[in-house]
Amino acid sequence: MKSPSTIYLVTRTHGMRTHFLTDENFKTMAKSRSLSEIVDQLLRSDYATEIGKLPSEQVDPSKLEMIFLKTLVERFFNLTKNAKGKGREFLENYVARIEIENLKRILRAKHTNAKIEEHKLIPLDRQHTLINFPALLKAKDIEETTALLRETPYTSLTRRIDDYKRLGITIILESYLDSIYFDKVWEKVEKLENKKSIRKLVGEEIDLSNLQLILTLKMKEIASRQIEEMAIPISYRLRKTNIKRLAQGRFEDSPEALVGTPYVNIAIEILKKTDPTIELETILSKKLYQNASFALRNSSLEFGYVVAYLMMCEREARNLVTITTALDLEVTEENLLQRLFI
Amino acid sequence: MSAAGRAAVSRGILLRLREQLVFTKKGQELLKMKRDHLASETNKLLSKLAERNELDRQLMEAYENLKVAYLNIGFSSLDSQAATVNEMGVRVRPRSIMGVIVPEVIMEKKADIGSISSPSAYKAASKLNGIMENLIQLAEAESRLESIAHELMMTNRKVNSLERVLIPGLIELIRYVEGRLEEESLEEFFRAKCVKKVIRGRKK
Repeated sequence: MKSPSTIYLVTRTHGMRTHFLTDENFKTMAKSRSLSEIVDQLLRSDYATEIGKLPSEQVDPSKLEMIFLKTLVERFFNLTKNAKGKGREFLENYVARIEIENLKRILRAKHTNAKIEEHKLIPLDRQHTLINFPALLKAKDIEETTALLRETPYTSLTRRIDDYKRLGITIILESYLDSIYFDKVWEKVEKLENKKSIRKLVGEEIDLSNLQLILTLKMKEIASRQIEEMAIPISYRLRKTNIKRLAQGRFEDSPEALVGTPYVNIAIEILKKTDPTIELETILSKKLYQNASFALRNSSLEFGYVVAYLMMCEREARNLVTITTALDLEVTEENLLQRLFI
Repeated sequence: MSAAGRAAVSRGILLRLREQLVFTKKGQELLKMKRDHLASETNKLLSKLAERNELDRQLMEAYENLKVAYLNIGFSSLDSQAATVNEMGVRVRPRSIMGVIVPEVIMEKKADIGSISSPSAYKAASKLNGIMENLIQLAEAESRLESIAHELMMTNRKVNSLERVLIPGLIELIRYVEGRLEEESLEEFFRAKCVKKVIRGRKK
């Protein structure tokens, strides 16, 4: 039997789901000829308040992107606020992906001593994070940045500094941050009641993230031993043997390495593309959002519904970013529709 | 150049004019050599410029990949990925080809794109990075060609003016001076004969 807090949260999520833009909305926006047309449509959605604050002459894709991300953050934390007990603990860890992304952005900039300011981060209120981002922004290099992460959940990042110095690539730190993040999220999933649907959703997300990481590293011709070290050490359907075979084999042999997992068809689909590397993210993300969409339809009374909702929030933000960017880059409607997650 | 109206005629001037002619001819030879060398450099550079179409095609392909990367991860995230790329190191130093100063671009350090974690951004970056060296070489070739073509035109003009105006003028002048000197020596000879004849007549 589900706890009243779970029932309350799922019910609230049902209500929040009605705020989503529909696939028809996305298709209509994809046909738009100017940003103002898109803005007009968004004025009837959750984005209206933020967009309303933006003077019409200042409307551009990068400002709109920040509004979409801000709304995404608000949606994440509104939901977390409504949760209680273990569900809340899980959600608090799940929405930490925003601070993880911001941390990655800071580390990337510090790698080359590039200037980074707050407006380049995803807008995240101080109340939603334990990380002192203003201090991190002022850090002079990666070592100082990681040192400032002591007393936070990411303190162990300092252990990877030597590897980072040896190889000189930030992916080592980024993948380790992902490992810390998913490790915490997975730990909280295991503590939830009725975790079947949520396990599948989060587990497959971990596997897909791992797949993307490993295939990207293969593309960069990183040594197999290092790939295995950098991979996220949590397995759902992607076993360690699969990871080992993926790391040791060629990029083209990835379907064979994935035999016995539900990801064989994805690997085949990726390889079918004329340029597999460029389609990798789209194909893997499509699979992730298909899972979320399936969970929204079939787990309407489970906690998994809440996670599926969060994933779909992310999907909406990404779709909107893609649409506004495509309009700015004069991408054809046909090409744009192929890239949308609908 | 007309020799008419030139008054001063002497053996010294004739010698100076002959020396000037030899010097001018040597200069003309050197300029011709310079012209030939510059022409062969131009030919070499023209073959390099022919690669431009292929480079344009590659650039368009790279920009298409970049567009996909933008669509996949958005402006802010791509901006963040781009922050991991170290600046490439390029040094421009002057080089002289037959006295023409042309730029020589030396790529000292390639951009390091190893930290880009998004596959589509990495793909776009690796394409652009691969093209960058060729793009720099093309820019160097175009810039060299511009300087060399200008110098070639100037040298050609100089050779033509030497060949068609200055040297024929000098030859004509030398011929004129030689003629005048011959006339003067004949006059002198005739005068001496006359004087001899008058002296002989007085003696008789």
